Amino acid sequence: MTDILEINGLTKNYGKLKAVSNLNLNVKQGQVYGILGPNGSGKTTTLGMILDVVAPTSGVYNWFGGISPIDARKQIGAILETPCFYPYLTAVQNLRITAHIKESSPNRIDEVLEQVGLSERKNDKFKTYSLGMKQRLSIAAALIANPPVLILDEPTNGLDPQGIAEIRTLIRDIAADGKTILLASHLLDEVQKVCSHFCVLRKGVKLHEGAVNDILGETNEIEISATNLQELTDCMNALDAFDSVTRENGQLVLTTREGITSEQINKHCFEKGITLKKLVTRTKSLEQEFLKILQEK
Amino acid sequence: MIRALKLEWLKIRNYRTFWILLSMYCLALIIICFGGMFFLEYLKSLGADFEGLDPTILPIYDFPDIWQNITYLASFLKILLAFIVIISINNDQSYNTLRQNIIDGISKKEYLVGKILLISSLALVSTLFLFTSGLINGALYSHVWGASFIFDELEFLFAYWYDIVIFCTLAMLLSLIIKKAGFVIIALTLYTFMFEPIAGVIMTEAPFMKNGIWPQVAPFLPIHALNDMIPVPFLKYLFQEIVDNIPIKALIISTGWFVIYLAGITFILNRRDLKA
Repeated sequence: MTDILEINGLTKNYGKLKAVSNLNLNVKQGQVYGILGPNGSGKTTTLGMILDVVAPTSGVYNWFGGISPIDARKQIGAILETPCFYPYLTAVQNLRITAHIKESSPNRIDEVLEQVGLSERKNDKFKTYSLGMKQRLSIAAALIANPPVLILDEPTNGLDPQGIAEIRTLIRDIAADGKTILLASHLLDEVQKVCSHFCVLRKGVKLHEGAVNDILGETNEIEISATNLQELTDCMNALDAFDSVTRENGQLVLTTREGITSEQINKHCFEKGITLKKLVTRTKSLEQEFLKILQEK
Repeated sequence: MIRALKLEWLKIRNYRTFWILLSMYCLALIIICFGGMFFLEYLKSLGADFEGLDPTILPIYDFPDIWQNITYLASFLKILLAFIVIISINNDQSYNTLRQNIIDGISKKEYLVGKILLISSLALVSTLFLFTSGLINGALYSHVWGASFIFDELEFLFAYWYDIVIFCTLAMLLSLIIKKAGFVIIALTLYTFMFEPIAGVIMTEAPFMKNGIWPQVAPFLPIHALNDMIPVPFLKYLFQEIVDNIPIKALIISTGWFVIYLAGITFILNRRDLKA
């Protein structure tokens, strides 16, 4: 796969504060790459540097194998933190400016406004928009040139739950088209739901990098429950296949030993005349792994 | 170049504040250009006379003197165009659209070029407006007529255009440094009409300065040099001799300041981090 973005030793100091410290990153074509980190961990500063609005203290970055940064930016749809538009212009007029800068046709304006659900308000001034609508408009602006690469910094900031779900669907649809997406977020759930790869930043230092699927996957914990919980507990204790059997919120949580599968448990219960009404293998969440990564380092 | 200018055009085309300010500026230009005769009539009604002469026969609208007269007066209004520039730059900074423009794919140099072209265009519109007003007033009042008179001394229109361009570039530099439009407007107005003129007078007239090097320094002050490009014309009606062409020295000094402003703007744009 081709490198879309290559970052080498990128560093930014604000006086004594090291906002980003010797960062190396590689984003390949087609990846949905999440940059995770608590507030103030250097996510936006990093994006600002690769978009040429923050001057790096040291280090280099290359877009598309090293084309001029200005040409590269025309092929990148990017939003950085808050939506920035002319408040006295309408959505259409604002997007015309974006299309002009990106040297792309203004014909797509109606299409992208439709895509983010702003068609009805397209001739209203930006200053009359709610925060959610402003956020949508900035996503529309990022999409206007149909760019192969999108950079989204906290794209669901300020949206209501329905808006968040819509934007996530939109991101997944865009990714399904084979576009590369760089997504900065402090919402772990968001990264887990849409990203294929991610890295974790803390105080400007990269703590972890890898594929989301590698870090997720099944745990050795199984949740079961039955109508007669006491009978089930005794039955499980008798089986001697678990490191621990604990009662939690009206169910049992089993920590299985090596080689014990949920299938075997189900079969055993059935033979003992207990019908399970729940049998779930717990999966890892990015949240737990993220906290683990932060603690480890 | 055209692309950069079109970007600026898209920003102001539907901006009502811009059109209101521009209209007020044009109205002020009209009053200045066409008001001369009314002013002389008013002087006459007060019983003023110039060594026995009726003020209304003063040939202020005669070609080619008219060009120096109206450009001299109209150049005081350039501060209004500077306000437009200040607001334009300030918008880009306070709405963070300068940053967004750059993220979307223009270079900082292109941004500067766009603004300078916007300034030049505004100056050109003003110059053409003044040229037309001059022709109309000349047609109404000039005692002489003919191409050789009408098109003589048109260099004052060039000086007028150049004066506006440099002054507005200073306004742009100040807007980038100070960032708050209100402060820039007050600072620029006070400096242009008060601080620097007073400093200039002190340098040339104060007993403790006028015998030193200071009187030679005064013409190098930025506003002083700009004002010197179009010398005060009206004294010719009292004395016979008067400078009626653009002093090369003022032109060179002003150009020097222009270069300094551009360098300052480039320096700030390249150096500053555009954070939210």
